[in-house]
Amino acid sequence: MFKKTTLIGIIGFSCLPVYAVDVPISGNVQSRCIITTDTPGVYGNPNAYTLTTSAADGGVQPIVRFDVSLGDAYYAQITTPTQFSSSPALNDTVTWTGSTQVSTVSDATNMGDYETNKVTFGQTTQYDLTATGSTWFKSTSVAVNGGNKAFPSGSYSAIIEAVCIAK
Amino acid sequence: MLLAVLVFSLPYYSYSNDLRPYHGSSTNAAANGNTWAMENILPNPPGLEINGVIYNYVIDKNVDDSVKVHIQNENANGTGYVFRETDEWKSGSLGGTEIKKAVPIVPNIPRSAFGEGSIDIEGPGSVLDPNVVYTYRVDPCFDPQFDPGCPGYKPFIPEIPEVDPNSLYNALEDEAVKIATAETKSELYEKDDEQVESKENEEDKEKIRLEKTLSAVDNSELFVNAFVQSRILTQINDAIQMKKYYAANISGGVYKETQSLFDKKIDDNKRGLRNGLAQQLLHEKMIGMQYEK
Repeated sequence: MFKKTTLIGIIGFSCLPVYAVDVPISGNVQSRCIITTDTPGVYGNPNAYTLTTSAADGGVQPIVRFDVSLGDAYYAQITTPTQFSSSPALNDTVTWTGSTQVSTVSDATNMGDYETNKVTFGQTTQYDLTATGSTWFKSTSVAVNGGNKAFPSGSYSAIIEAVCIAK
Repeated sequence: MLLAVLVFSLPYYSYSNDLRPYHGSSTNAAANGNTWAMENILPNPPGLEINGVIYNYVIDKNVDDSVKVHIQNENANGTGYVFRETDEWKSGSLGGTEIKKAVPIVPNIPRSAFGEGSIDIEGPGSVLDPNVVYTYRVDPCFDPQFDPGCPGYKPFIPEIPEVDPNSLYNALEDEAVKIATAETKSELYEKDDEQVESKENEEDKEKIRLEKTLSAVDNSELFVNAFVQSRILTQINDAIQMKKYYAANISGGVYKETQSLFDKKIDDNKRGLRNGLAQQLLHEKMIGMQYEK
């Protein structure tokens, strides 16, 4: 009688199905730093061998906006051009200079010192985005053809690189 | 399907586009200086609610200076400010930097509470190219009674005050009315009636006499008038009738004899003689018959 019962029990257990479930986990990380081109730049041509975005020389300074919804979490890095992205065939080497500065802020109290605290290395300027809000940065780019040779006629374009780097 | 039924069964209000809330914005409040009156920059429809301020300016200061800039509106209904946003440009911030800001305003602040607006600067500095714009929302149905199309509109029903009937004037309980309506003693009005009747009779007779006299005069005048009128009519008729005769023409001339007797002798009519004799006989017979009686 015991054996039978046991046997039934063993058969019963051996017949139970085994379920294995994989529970998915998904997530979506939205950027807390958004970069937008506010104003595209235009090169002015004050002389035959110079191209500049300076307004005084007929150019338009490019402006880029950083919108940060999480303070003290990102650096803004803006690099002015070091070469043309498209141009006619050049007849000499080009010397590049550039700079970036804060144009506009949305919070004077917490962003007012961005310009003072910026770090520059080479063509790149880095800002510590300590406050939430929007900051507009404007850049100047100057290209001088080697030996003061005139730039070949044609269309020139260059690119400013703006990057939001998480701390 | 169930969702569709639910959606269509939800109550909703349909009203014309004119009654739907709409948004707007003012012109630059600081265009003419760092102070402004709200009535000059905002429309004044009922149901207007200011919901935000968007401003920008360029700070002009030295790097080492600390400057505070207040964008504000005084409280028109009291002291202090209904709106005040402060930008603190600390030492180290560069002059020439622009600030752009959009500041929401706490809802349900009445439009009338927004007093004079201004840009107030504390410290050695100034603002350049200020631009201050108010955004607002207008709900035409802020007061549901504004239009019958507004949700919640209630037709006007005049208030009828409740009056206690007992407090109303009751003429039947007025002492003066009671006295006026009290029954008069018969002795008083019988004597009066007799006196009144005798007086009335005399007055009536006098009236009748006078009426007769007047009627006689009237009749004679009427008779004279009728007679005169009759004479006038007769004369007019005669004149009309006589004119016919005056105007008639009688054709004149000579009427000559057209018959002529050739033998100048007319024989007696025998048949007529016989007839006349017979009648004569009959006549005499009849006369004789009279005498025979």
